[in-house]
Amino acid sequence: MKLINRIMILTLVLTMALSSVGCSKSIETAAAEGPSASDEKQEIVLWLPPIGEDDAPVWEPILKEYEETNNVDVTLEIIPWDNYPEKYATAIAAGKGPDVGYMYAEMFPHFIEVGAVEDLTPYLSEEDYENFIYINDGKMMGGLYGLGIEAANPAVLYYNKDILESLGEEAPKTWADFRRISKAATQDTDGDGKIDQWGLAQGWGRSMFGDLNWNWYGFLWQAGGELYNDDLKTVRFNDEKGLKAATLLYNLKFEDEALPPNHMSKTNKEMLTTTFGEGNAAFCIWLSSAAGEILDKNFEALNYDFVLSLEDESKGTFASVDQLTLMSGAENKELAFGLMEHILNAKSMTEFHKYHPRAPISKDEPYQGDPRLQEMIETQNGVYRPLVVAPHGVEVYNQLWTQLQMMMAGEKTPQEALDSAADWSNELLADK
Amino acid sequence: MAELSQWVYDTPAKKTKRKWRIWEMTSYAYILPLLVILIGFYVIPIVMSFALSFTKYNIMQPPTYIGAKNYMKLFTDETFIKSIQNTFLFMICVVPIQTIGALLMAVWLTAWKRSWLARFVQSVMFIPVISSMILIGIVWRILLNGDTSPLNMVVDWLGFAPDWLGDSDIALFTLMGISIWKNIGYFMVLYIAGLMEIPAVYHEAAKVDGANIFQEFFAITIPCLRKTTVLVVFLGIIWSFQIFDLVYTLTGGGPGNATMTMVVHIFNLNFKQFNTGYAMTVANVLFLINATFVIVQKRFLKSDS
Repeated sequence: MKLINRIMILTLVLTMALSSVGCSKSIETAAAEGPSASDEKQEIVLWLPPIGEDDAPVWEPILKEYEETNNVDVTLEIIPWDNYPEKYATAIAAGKGPDVGYMYAEMFPHFIEVGAVEDLTPYLSEEDYENFIYINDGKMMGGLYGLGIEAANPAVLYYNKDILESLGEEAPKTWADFRRISKAATQDTDGDGKIDQWGLAQGWGRSMFGDLNWNWYGFLWQAGGELYNDDLKTVRFNDEKGLKAATLLYNLKFEDEALPPNHMSKTNKEMLTTTFGEGNAAFCIWLSSAAGEILDKNFEALNYDFVLSLEDESKGTFASVDQLTLMSGAENKELAFGLMEHILNAKSMTEFHKYHPRAPISKDEPYQGDPRLQEMIETQNGVYRPLVVAPHGVEVYNQLWTQLQMMMAGEKTPQEALDSAADWSNELLADK
Repeated sequence: MAELSQWVYDTPAKKTKRKWRIWEMTSYAYILPLLVILIGFYVIPIVMSFALSFTKYNIMQPPTYIGAKNYMKLFTDETFIKSIQNTFLFMICVVPIQTIGALLMAVWLTAWKRSWLARFVQSVMFIPVISSMILIGIVWRILLNGDTSPLNMVVDWLGFAPDWLGDSDIALFTLMGISIWKNIGYFMVLYIAGLMEIPAVYHEAAKVDGANIFQEFFAITIPCLRKTTVLVVFLGIIWSFQIFDLVYTLTGGGPGNATMTMVVHIFNLNFKQFNTGYAMTVANVLFLINATFVIVQKRFLKSDS
């Protein structure tokens, strides 16, 4: 081989090796420069989950107004619920997290501890404290780490009025009513020998713990139980009250056979749309907003109503207060906080809630939620409540969900499932 | 390369050492890009994984050394124990079925290669192989979970309606079936290549001696396919241990831990529980298991040659 050929080949090899470094460097340079032609415009990255069914077009004009007023580019990314905390963790670890984020109660402790979320106390004015209805829900772990954006959308117990009427029943008030009606509703209605109507359309198939919101918390609180002890250093959902709640769910399935056969592979929302919405179940638990957004739109023939909460020792149901957060990695925190206030102001929220009817976030915002829910939201604030912000929320609830799934699959008794989850959680909390 | 070595040999003796050195450096230069990739994406992560397994680490704060605590935890971690059981069960069931299935399909296709049916089957069986596992998971979830799913309608008509993904007794077997369906085409192609290498004269001689097709199959085909079988079996084992996207898409490891596999558990530990140190511990166990099988495979192949 001629010498010149050897030199050319060696040069080619070295060029290939160096270009792999050069490429990444050029990508970094391009990223640092940003996509905008103008070097003066700052960029704010906003991460939100899918609050409604199709949010991005709804947010666009709201964000555009802020962009024009402040000469910034706002980049919105909608993060699916199922990978939500992971996306934050990996992005923050890589230094590529958002400037403004959206977090729910279970997520906060971990991200506050690692300093990823900014304390908003220095940024807030007296007016903010007066105006934002859910500002106290942002107070946690010695600071104020979020401003409520999604609240007062409690889980309610939907019931099929036709089925209850056929059984001679009225809306349930107590656990005894609920169980009796669920059992009676589970029947073969068309005489083919197969059960085609069930008491409770409840799904246990979700891979992450989000369905605890409808499947568990309400029953635990109605039994008089709590998830954590007051010192937040141990859990107590495996006490006699927790056991009572778990046993109710267990008996609904194994004694009363009131759950559809595919409940272990479907999510709770899938059960709402495929079983309850189709008129094949007496009860289903889901967000109150589903009345207008899902049931009225897609199941016009369904004759339904809802109750906020059953009563056993107490009343209680879950309603999250999800928060907008200012991330510590934001380059321009004042600008990012300004975006938060813009999103939450009466004008923006009025616009947003036209498409996703919800209770107001601030006192100067009119009520645009479902009229059927207004009285309940305004007068029964103590019945619906969010989770307490407690350490290792994500991990504890993941473990609890897994163990309750095993209980509903028949692999463990209620006591075994709760004790397993509690032992695991207490070990984690002690190791903190 | 022959010309290069000839160039070295043709050189006078006192310049030979220098030219050998240039030859060696040239060789290293050729493999340098791949070496950088291997070290950067394989060796360094393995070393880091081993080091992080002795720490408490959540990817957002610096790691804290905790000794062998993570390794002690393995013995009491219910999910880890279940994931190892499921992963081994997955391997034990999937590998023989897909190996034998691929072999039989390959033999049939090779024997009937001129027929339109064989050509059609050969093409169709390779489609799942080249499809994304995530897409396959989504499609199968609709097929197995959907109320209007034709598959469920058929089994319902036959008188049984299993909850394919929700029944903890059968969910793992459902995933095994889908995995076999996806990968059997790949192994079938490997076997077809192996069958084509068997000299035709062996089969002709067997026919002359009066052997029937079964005798030919067991006495000629299977022994001649030994190397291919070793490759198929060990690839199947390693892929079984790495099963993730199918499980994650279809069941997430549930219901409960019924379909939890080691890689899904590692993923959950790292990304859902932010327990990277312990995730690396489990990953190291998986690495050791896979490494053991690779070493055994190499010994099999070495003994063959």
